[in-house]
Amino acid sequence: MNSPNLPVVSEGSRLTPGELQSVVFARAALGRRGYDEEQVRNFLQYVERELVKIFTDKAALADEVNRLRAQAASGGRGVMAPEDAHFQAVRILSQAQQTADLYVADAERYTRELAHEARLHREAILSDAKGRAEQMLEDAHRKAAAVAEAAVRTAPPQPAPAPSPGSGTLPDGERLALEREIAYLRTYSDVYRTHLRSYLEALLRNVDEWESSERASLPGGNA
Amino acid sequence: MDSQRLKASFAQVAEKGDAVALFFYSDLFVRNPHLRDMFPIGMSGQRDKLLRALGHIVSQVDDLSNLVPFLQQLGRDHRRFGIVAEHYPHVGASLLATLRHFSGTAWTDDIESDWNAAYGLVAKVMLEAADENALSSPAWWNGQVVAVERRRFDISVLRIQPDRPLPYTPGQSVALEVPSRLRHWRYYSMANAPRPDHTVDFHVRLVDGGPVSPVLVRGTQAGDRVRMGAPIGTLTLDESSPRDVLLVAGSTGLAPLKAILEQISRRAVPPRVHLFFGARSRDGLYDLEDLAKLADGFPWLTVVPAVSDEPGGHGFSSLLHSGDDGVEHGNLSDVVARRGPWDGHDAYVCGPSVMVGHTVEQLTRLGVPRDRIRLETFTDAQR
Repeated sequence: MNSPNLPVVSEGSRLTPGELQSVVFARAALGRRGYDEEQVRNFLQYVERELVKIFTDKAALADEVNRLRAQAASGGRGVMAPEDAHFQAVRILSQAQQTADLYVADAERYTRELAHEARLHREAILSDAKGRAEQMLEDAHRKAAAVAEAAVRTAPPQPAPAPSPGSGTLPDGERLALEREIAYLRTYSDVYRTHLRSYLEALLRNVDEWESSERASLPGGNA
Repeated sequence: MDSQRLKASFAQVAEKGDAVALFFYSDLFVRNPHLRDMFPIGMSGQRDKLLRALGHIVSQVDDLSNLVPFLQQLGRDHRRFGIVAEHYPHVGASLLATLRHFSGTAWTDDIESDWNAAYGLVAKVMLEAADENALSSPAWWNGQVVAVERRRFDISVLRIQPDRPLPYTPGQSVALEVPSRLRHWRYYSMANAPRPDHTVDFHVRLVDGGPVSPVLVRGTQAGDRVRMGAPIGTLTLDESSPRDVLLVAGSTGLAPLKAILEQISRRAVPPRVHLFFGARSRDGLYDLEDLAKLADGFPWLTVVPAVSDEPGGHGFSSLLHSGDDGVEHGNLSDVVARRGPWDGHDAYVCGPSVMVGHTVEQLTRLGVPRDRIRLETFTDAQR
């Protein structure tokens, strides 16, 4: 029969100094001296178990201390104060933001360059068109002058000095010059109109193509 | 609160430049992730704005007569971003954390209490102005595009119908936000005096590489929605002045001056008005047709168009334009100067900053007192 105050300690809980002090062994059975041998043996076994447990824990803790010391010395960051964690988060977010800013700036620069090139292209097309138009004018002018010259050169022999009622008072030279001028202007306007018409038609085709390609590049209208 | 100590503290932190604002916003968003949505993806412009505003506030901290109106405007302005009272303490906490972080060992309890007091004042003034403004005005106006006129490949005139009357003075502008570029607000001037149907016109020029103006110029059509902030701006008509009026507009800087012109035209006895409208080339004079019509109808109005980058006089283009149509050649400021004298006039100038700068320079040299020149520059704010 066990003494009621023998430390009956359930597994897992710890031996305390208080428990040791309160241990009371039962007397040995009649005819024998000392304490109940079995109780003492049980108790010693219990103390031994406790000591083993303590030594094991101590060794484990020493290992842990060493590990942490080594980690701290090598600058590792396995354990972090909340404040450091916050700074780390701020740093990461800052980097992400800078990356985003970089992408945005790149995209912006790219569109700016693209637009700049398009503008140059537009300028080139315009100045080319202007150049061609001037050329066309000159061309028309030259052709008209030649045609007028030819017309006047072939015309004079027939109605030589016949003074017609309207222009009767005009001297030959002046009439000739006027006829040449009229012939020139007619031919000039014919040639120029033809040139201009075909050029404008080409331009219109150009604008149509431009519009359709622009529509294709803006899906939904407000992309 | 020791304002000298505060200024010294800010000067020390401000040396770190962009890193300060970068830390501030990151700290703010780590602590309050829900606030991230209130800002655009790219934040570099936003950081510049923050640093400028902080610098301004700190430099004026012992001149409350100037600082308070600035803060009140800032507070009213922030309503359209959806900023409410509960956001202010978060901002304050992150601001303090940022200043502490960049001050290093210079940070003391005294400095901390200086900053706390300063921010408390700033937040209080901004919030009170915002609250007071909320009694009379919405945080923003919703608008619907009712018409788009493409005047040139890079210039459009938009007509917008606000969902409720937008009270403004001709010459003022509003910040505009389009749905496809959320959190990007750009200022545009109303190009007309208030109308009975409340519609407003905006002249928008595409800025290469800009996120907003290309959408407005090329990707907007009738039916599209926009948001508008409260009208602001001081380029408004001096109604008390008996003097004649000189309006100088570069490109889409025409918008506010056209609104002022319309306001003048409603007077019983309008003063004499000279409107100079300049662009680089002839096709940049996108609104000349309408201005010429106005000039025909108003005997007191003279419109002078000018181009700077096109030589006058010969070749195919002059043939197409049938010779002299009254377009002057040269820099707008020189053209204006040639037509003087202007010393008896009130001058209103709006356009690209270089053009505005030159014009103001010329006018003051020609004897126009500086306080009779009102101006606004359209620079990066327009993108």
